[in-house]
Amino acid sequence: MTSLVTARGVSKRFGDVLAVDNVSFEIEQGRIMGLIGPNGAGKTTLLKALLGLTDCDGELSVLGLDPFRQRKELMRNICFIADVAVLPRWIRVSQLLNFMAATHPNFSMSRAQELLSHTKVRPDAKVRQLSKGMVTQLHLSIITAIDARLLVLDEPTLGLDIIFRKEFYGNLLNDYFDGERTILITTHQVEEIENLLTDIMFINEGRIILDTTMDSLAGQYSELMASGDNADKARSFGPIFERDVFGKKAMVFEGVSREQLADLGELRTPSVADLFVAKVKGAAA
Amino acid sequence: MISNQLSLVRRELWEHRAIYIAPLVIALVMSLMSLTGQVTISAFGHEVDLAIIGASSAGEIERQAAINAILTVFTSIFALGAWILMIFYSLDALYAERRDKSILFWRSLPVTDAETVISKLLTAVLVIPLTAFAFVVVTHLLNLILWSIWLSIQGGDAGHILWSAAPLFDNWAATLIIAVAMPLWLSPLIGWFLFVSAFTRRSPLLIAFLPMFVVPMLEKLVSSTSLFWDAIFVRSVRPPLFKGIDVSRIFDEDNFQIAADTASLLAKIDLARFLSSPSMWLGLVVCGLFTTAAIYIRRYRDES
Repeated sequence: MTSLVTARGVSKRFGDVLAVDNVSFEIEQGRIMGLIGPNGAGKTTLLKALLGLTDCDGELSVLGLDPFRQRKELMRNICFIADVAVLPRWIRVSQLLNFMAATHPNFSMSRAQELLSHTKVRPDAKVRQLSKGMVTQLHLSIITAIDARLLVLDEPTLGLDIIFRKEFYGNLLNDYFDGERTILITTHQVEEIENLLTDIMFINEGRIILDTTMDSLAGQYSELMASGDNADKARSFGPIFERDVFGKKAMVFEGVSREQLADLGELRTPSVADLFVAKVKGAAA
Repeated sequence: MISNQLSLVRRELWEHRAIYIAPLVIALVMSLMSLTGQVTISAFGHEVDLAIIGASSAGEIERQAAINAILTVFTSIFALGAWILMIFYSLDALYAERRDKSILFWRSLPVTDAETVISKLLTAVLVIPLTAFAFVVVTHLLNLILWSIWLSIQGGDAGHILWSAAPLFDNWAATLIIAVAMPLWLSPLIGWFLFVSAFTRRSPLLIAFLPMFVVPMLEKLVSSTSLFWDAIFVRSVRPPLFKGIDVSRIFDEDNFQIAADTASLLAKIDLARFLSSPSMWLGLVVCGLFTTAAIYIRRYRDES
């Protein structure tokens, strides 16, 4: 596997605040990586550094390029949709497509038109006339029509209703993802993307607290539902997090084999959301 | 690079439609004024007949001078409109994309910040004045046609009175030189406006103009000099592009007629003086510095 993104000791400081604190990780080609973190964890700053929108300390390479210093070259092969990178409201859809075709060497006009023909977005409409959901459809269609190696999505479905959100991720998988391309995605609505991720990374207070594949998640983490004496026994295995669920205790274990826990109650792999809470709150406790 | 610039400039025309709508409105208003003028004076039949006879028998130079003056009035109104457009455009150019948050979308494309800022500078100093120039030509022709029709209805010979005497190419050549040269002369101000529109968080108009008045006032208070005032305002209104008008020479007493160069706008232009003016070249350097600063701000500032 070739590594598309390599970060070694990446830090970003704003005045006294260390937004990203000595972070190292790799993203391999063909993966769908979820970057999960609470507000202010440094997600957006890290993404901006990857996209060359902000400078940072440490060693950061995206597609073999220095993102901040080689941004133009990088943008030929990277796309991003960010909640903050909105489409200009004054532009017509047809103008937007023309502009993309004129400035982006990897943009396919026919592909974009084909994708848009499946939506209600008309070519002569102005962006300001479209609903928020339609603007996101338009943006995703444009991005999908770019033959890019890395797609970065920062809260792409913020403020959309559930139908648009489901459709967005459906289109992302069907139209964009082909096993060759790579996606890096951040969102708060982690339940909705859990099933499409191949890799996951948690970030909290500027540090990466988890970096693993979804496949190995089940081997590393388990969640036990136990009550009474069993809960006390389970506690001796050192759960990283514990919470009350309908009078029972739900405990998350890291690196404890399932055989040891099997007799103590109901075992399962924790959801990404539960694991995230366990990791963040467990670290704080 | 060049094809990117064309796309970027075309993008500016999509966003700022005033660049061609404003001169279009000026052209329509002025043509409408010609028409209402015709209707109004047509009521004075006897006086109109006398005026046409007078105009027909006037000397060629006199007719040229009169038409040149009218053409130049038209040109001046477009020039003023273009200057106002340039101010508002350049104050908006790097501000609107931050206000509507589309800047991150634009920056997600393989276009550098330098290319974007330069396309906005080119739009201000080249596209706006040249668009205005095109409308000047069209408006001149349209109004000459309107007055020809009116003259024919009144029984005058439009070919003789207007067309044979209208120094159209002279006026247009001069207008084109002005359209290219004046933005260069004013470029330090345009650079300043672009710079303000790149950094200000609110009200670019106020932020751009307030220091232009406050700094000269402070200078006057502190050192009783007026270097800033001269550099900003005196400079703006005294481009080294025109020959001074010597009132005593308007009338050529030897031949008892209006001096020949009164009928020519081109004769008023002193291109050599303009190109050899250190002040003009210094202004270009100042514009370059402000533009570089604007590129730097767009590239390095974190928008979140």
